[in-house]
Amino acid sequence: MNPTFVTYLEQFLGYPATNLMAAVFFLVAVSILVGVMATIGGLGTYAERKISADIQARIGPNRVGPFGLLQMLADGVKMILKEDIIPSKADKLIFILAPMMAMFGVFATLAVLPFSSGLTLTDLNIGVFYVLGVGSFVGVAIFLGGYASNSKWSMLGGMRGASQIISYEIPVTLSILVAVTMAGGLSFSTLVEAQTGLPHGWYLFHNPFSFIAFFVLFIGALAETNRAPFDLPEAESELVSGYHTEYTGMRFGFFALAEYVEVFVVCGIAAALFLGGYKVPFDLGNGEVLSNALMNIPFLKMVVPMTNGTPIFKLLGSGLGQLLQLGSFFTKTLALYYVVIWIRWTLPRLRVDTLMTLCWKYLTPIALFNLLGAATWMVVFHGKSIYQIIFESGAAQAVGGH
Amino acid sequence: MFDKLLFFSSFLLTISGAAMVLGSKDLVRACIALLACLFGVAGLYATLNADFLAATQLVVYAGGVVILMLFAIMLTGGSNNAVNRFGINKVPSMGDGKTLAFGILSGAVATLTIFKITKNVFIDYNLQEIPGYSSTVEQIGQLLVTNHVLAFEISSILLLGALIGAAVIARPRKS
Repeated sequence: MNPTFVTYLEQFLGYPATNLMAAVFFLVAVSILVGVMATIGGLGTYAERKISADIQARIGPNRVGPFGLLQMLADGVKMILKEDIIPSKADKLIFILAPMMAMFGVFATLAVLPFSSGLTLTDLNIGVFYVLGVGSFVGVAIFLGGYASNSKWSMLGGMRGASQIISYEIPVTLSILVAVTMAGGLSFSTLVEAQTGLPHGWYLFHNPFSFIAFFVLFIGALAETNRAPFDLPEAESELVSGYHTEYTGMRFGFFALAEYVEVFVVCGIAAALFLGGYKVPFDLGNGEVLSNALMNIPFLKMVVPMTNGTPIFKLLGSGLGQLLQLGSFFTKTLALYYVVIWIRWTLPRLRVDTLMTLCWKYLTPIALFNLLGAATWMVVFHGKSIYQIIFESGAAQAVGGH
Repeated sequence: MFDKLLFFSSFLLTISGAAMVLGSKDLVRACIALLACLFGVAGLYATLNADFLAATQLVVYAGGVVILMLFAIMLTGGSNNAVNRFGINKVPSMGDGKTLAFGILSGAVATLTIFKITKNVFIDYNLQEIPGYSSTVEQIGQLLVTNHVLAFEISSILLLGALIGAAVIARPRKS
């Protein structure tokens, strides 16, 4: 079977979980994760407002709760209380189905997102590929939302969204393949464990091709999540609100939440593939160093009963290690999230033809060239990173002398 | 237990999706039902431990084919009038609920008859245990560049031809 969250818990607790226990663990973990991610999506809207306010020299939300932090709750209450309008000429079934499909596509990707080495719901062998597969439901949902509304603006937005998403999937997939060829596996644990905690071991700095691949991936990801400067599907100045013009209340909320969570997921994937994911410097993440250090503190030795020897320290050490890993992952992901918002409030929107030109005439050839280059690098230099090559040649010089 | 649950939900999704494709009068709804059906087939692959195939099914069909079908329906306008000029329901050439019911019934009768006749062939056939889970990605990758390299190359030439053809068709003509 695949290593999962439950297998980690088994190691952590030291006894095998029965089927029923595993199911209960999964249910609890999934509900917690979905709750946390929905909150992160909500906080995303708050961050967007605050950062845009900073950029435009405004104050932003500051009335509801401390620093306006509860603004998202106020928004949520507003959306739930709003009248739920379905246009009379709309295709009702598809109109109702589309927001749910967007939510499904985004939240299904959470199953493989590596928050830490322990908190990965399931570590599928085909992790990245699975993300691409279920992520494509979002494109269908946007298209259907535009179609079902029976409005010209929605229709145009939906068609733009779908064409944009399937176009940008190509450079994104090719850039992901660069990381996959370097790690030699599709599962997130393989991809992350092949990197190190310190930046010299990240795939971003592995070779020149992977450096370019990260930026192609990031640009493509912006387009796939319909973020500015690629937010053509919901271009306010021309299409009112694009594919969700006719949606009100919680159905609109589903689309908005799906977008913000998708941005987080995409940033998390970029961090996991190229920025070392959950790895913590100096191997602090696996907990052995921490538990050894804890054992050597004389004060703790006196206080903690040593009847069972080391296990309590081991438990504590690996727990702390997991927390550090979570911190590492969230730091990198949220930093990327900040960049996404920053770009949105800095750059103007592209035209439709420039958008397609950027994808097909620039990003796709660059991504193809990158993939070839990375593969060649892996063959020619036997998978060594640029730092290893420099250090080795330097060492050879030093030993050889003049 | 979990495997059976997954199998039966995928099975139900596949069958009901296929039935809805046949029964639906609206092309876009038929497309959605097709998506559900293909998702169910991906679930069936997953229950058979073919993880890579399941994900490929999702990427290719949900991400590509269904969206292209929807585009084609949009661009050709689809057909919304299910009633002909005398106000009578048109029977689509692919059938409707009634023809579907007839088809299923007659199909079931025919299948049962065939099974009854060929019973002796199947009587000694015992189902083998499903082999334990192992990743299929490495095996598929190795087979594609060793035993099946010719098929792999020919399909890539086919795709290249399609790409060039699309570019030629979409190219602006000189007047």
